[in-house]
Amino acid sequence: MARRLIDTDIHERVLYEDLITYLENPWKRYITDCHWLQEKHMPYTQPAVAGVDRADARVPDGRPAGTDLAFMQQQLLDANQHSFGVLTGALDPSPSSMHGWYEMATALASAYNDWQIENWLEKDERLYGSVHIAAQDPQGAVREIERVGPHPKMVQILLPIDDNLWGDPYYHPIYEAAEHHDLMIGMHHNEPPTHFGRWPRYFIEWHTLIPTSHMIQVSNMVYNGVFEKYPQLKLMMIEGGFTYVPHLMRKMDQQYTDLRHEVPWVKRMPSRIVREHVRFTTQPMEEMSKHDFLQFVDQMGSEDIICFSTDYPHWDYDSPARALPALGEPLRQKIFFDNAKAFYPKLPEVHGGGGNRETSSV
Amino acid sequence: MEVGGTVKQAVCKKNDLRPGGMMKATLGRMPIVVCRTLDGGFYAFSNQCIHQGAPMSEGVVCGASAPTDQPGEYRYVKEGEILRCPWHGREYDIKNEGRMLSDPNRRLPGFKVAIEGDDVVVSK
Ligand code: FES
Repeated sequence: MARRLIDTDIHERVLYEDLITYLENPWKRYITDCHWLQEKHMPYTQPAVAGVDRADARVPDGRPAGTDLAFMQQQLLDANQHSFGVLTGALDPSPSSMHGWYEMATALASAYNDWQIENWLEKDERLYGSVHIAAQDPQGAVREIERVGPHPKMVQILLPIDDNLWGDPYYHPIYEAAEHHDLMIGMHHNEPPTHFGRWPRYFIEWHTLIPTSHMIQVSNMVYNGVFEKYPQLKLMMIEGGFTYVPHLMRKMDQQYTDLRHEVPWVKRMPSRIVREHVRFTTQPMEEMSKHDFLQFVDQMGSEDIICFSTDYPHWDYDSPARALPALGEPLRQKIFFDNAKAFYPKLPEVHGGGGNRETSSV
Repeated sequence: MEVGGTVKQAVCKKNDLRPGGMMKATLGRMPIVVCRTLDGGFYAFSNQCIHQGAPMSEGVVCGASAPTDQPGEYRYVKEGEILRCPWHGREYDIKNEGRMLSDPNRRLPGFKVAIEGDDVVVSK
């Protein structure tokens, strides 16, 4: 039987000019006339050969990596026989990261979702999507979730990890809407959530410590009682890897044992909440032996909480064939398929092998 | 041509490669990358990165920042002598047996190269 594969982190990318037809005025005019771009501040030049992208992922006609479905199909989905892939955007634009002008953020989120549905989700049956919202305005965000969340191929709501702490009760209407529509939450870091909200001197420092920003969000969601209040809700932590998880579980349990009185709405051990509600994508994988890998699994106390991801088309892409050590079944199948399948209730059943022809259609 | 377990093959012409350039080729059925350094030398390596197998010929031939004792000092050296992987960007030293700059104990497997007339002949 062909091996099945769910890729939990694929970055499709929009060009601002492609968003324009999905925007009303005045939002459209802010882009065409005023050349609006979301502020981006990364001060580093080239982390790798082609910036933040795989050098061989640029579209042959010169467009940036991740902008073309046909090329993504050829280079990623067909080449690796993906069963499913979950799109996570390129975080540019990233409506939930905008500091101010929430009306523009809300318009951008809607435009992005419409563009994603029309050009990706409805064009390849393997691809599933993330609902983009302007989470700073939870009521507006809920309206957007109500609008596109019922789409059969939307499987999660995307929240960027930056300087908002998403467990705060202010954002809970988003989780209520998510639970109502069988959507999970996906969190992916944006710029720069580490180093006290500022860029460190070198890219290597930032990239090394990205997991710290993921730890902040996981502990914030746990201690703010999100998973007690919304028992069906689950959280996918995307692109932070998993090697920080044993430490975080142990640390949170110790703290909870001593300080439970401060967060009396948390009724389970934090490590148990993590095992029951939180999943972690594998990339970027540290090189490790099977022995090393199994030690991490052992310390997390579960084979069910890590899910394979490539991060295509970015420079630190992980190859499905090469990134993980040979693990043997059934663990391999859990990481490459079963865990993500169990996480996203809207993914359909797969019959037979790994390719898209066996999947049920939209 | 296969002689007693060794493969020897003309993989390209000298003029196919400018100094500082590289191209992919095959040795038998094996994908290789041929590099030409700025001094005119030819080198051949496996075209699969030893990390996760990226096609090296989609990367870049460049130089590198020299190791230094001085934090903050950048000195760009070995122009045309470093083969960098298109994915995670590991740097392989073309003229030093394909050794990785960050860990010289690891290297990109290389092949013998000889120039015979206009032909670049690679053998293993
Ligand atoms: S595949 Fe070459 S550096 Fe990772």
